[in-house]
Amino acid sequence: MSNASRLSATPQDDSSSTSSASGDRLHDLLLRVTQSDRRAFAQLYEATSAKLYGTVLRILKEQGRTDDVVQEAYVTIWQKATQFEAERASPIAWMVAIARHAAIDELRRQPRAPHESEDTLSHMAADTPSAREHIEYEQDARRLHACLEELETDRQDMVRLAYLDGWSRADLATYFEQPVNTVKTWLHRALKQLKGCLAP
Amino acid sequence: MTDHDDIDMLAAEYVLGPLEADERAEVAQRREHDTDLDARIHAWEARLAPLGDEVRTVAPGPDLLARIERRLDELETTSRTKPEPEADASGTAQLIVLRRRLGFWRGSTALATAAALVLAVLLLAPLGESPQEPPFVAVFQQDDQQPAFMLSVDLDSRRLDVRPVTAKPLPDRTYQLWIKADSLGPKPRSVGVLNDDLSLPADALSDYDSDLLKQATFGISIEPPGGSPTGQPTGRAIHGYLYPTDRDAVSHHL
Repeated sequence: MSNASRLSATPQDDSSSTSSASGDRLHDLLLRVTQSDRRAFAQLYEATSAKLYGTVLRILKEQGRTDDVVQEAYVTIWQKATQFEAERASPIAWMVAIARHAAIDELRRQPRAPHESEDTLSHMAADTPSAREHIEYEQDARRLHACLEELETDRQDMVRLAYLDGWSRADLATYFEQPVNTVKTWLHRALKQLKGCLAP
Repeated sequence: MTDHDDIDMLAAEYVLGPLEADERAEVAQRREHDTDLDARIHAWEARLAPLGDEVRTVAPGPDLLARIERRLDELETTSRTKPEPEADASGTAQLIVLRRRLGFWRGSTALATAAALVLAVLLLAPLGESPQEPPFVAVFQQDDQQPAFMLSVDLDSRRLDVRPVTAKPLPDRTYQLWIKADSLGPKPRSVGVLNDDLSLPADALSDYDSDLLKQATFGISIEPPGGSPTGQPTGRAIHGYLYPTDRDAVSHHL
């Protein structure tokens, strides 16, 4: 089937902490999921659920909502497995993106109470160093982190709070005590700077 | 700032995440037919993905997989066309065949470029004896939330009815309906370019017999005015999902 040949294209290196050998395995499992293989789906879940769950929980901070969003993310993965394109993303990056967008959409639908966001920054800062040890061998990750380091501290924090914790522009504006439009401008500059820094 | 910069920033902000709900919904909708935006979103996903390594992994509760599997069971059950128990086994088999066929469809459009293709499946099941029974319906979805078009086909008379659900006429673009069946060869065949009011003549499928229609899958692609210049859908495939025609299950789903 031509779909199979699409899926068997060379997968990119995983941008997550998963090794590329397990990336190949995820790739095989996803291919079997496109053929409605429930056992492969269960194995795919076992191999990836802690990553997806951690991603969604970090954004929603609440177990009940996280359960719901992770459930829907895996249903989407089951339904959209044929849309996975190996040339565009690693399997884990594709799956994390589905879960992360679902979590952010859920957060926008029903934002957290404002006080809950306040301990996020310290939690985030505490997470950063240990997590970075795991991915030091990953070239892409090293480059991104090097480029992030070049941003002003506030802007690094904004990028992390938006990407990892799902903060909206309004959340960022409140926290950094800046008008929303200023936050928007800062984010644009940060993103352009990152893109320029990452460009080959 | 140029338009390219604007689109790239929109993609970047979408991936980064700080957009509000309405902006996010707009981007999610737009990427379905804007391949440039979609490609930029993919590029930004790849750029920023290593940030995700900073997230601590957390094992979900032991029951979550079972919950997900129950949900998949429910979806497959409601996707079947016939409520009668004796139809269950073949209904499941057909669903699996259709899933495979969707992959086949997608593969054949993988070489095409530009624009988005919205795929759907014609629900296949023998028509009931009663003429009152509704025809079989395919739902063309632009994303997981919003059905874009519905196609219903009466297999006996081979008459079709396409109607937009959320799809709107697009400036300088047309929608084109395609049919694909094993007996027609590997490539999709054009059924017709939708009129300005997003309709098609009811007899557009009269060249195909009902056995072929039962086996066929359908797609809708977004094309330049007048239809695809290549005679093939020019687009990335997005597959649709099966919907039953009974009202309760449909409303549950939508």
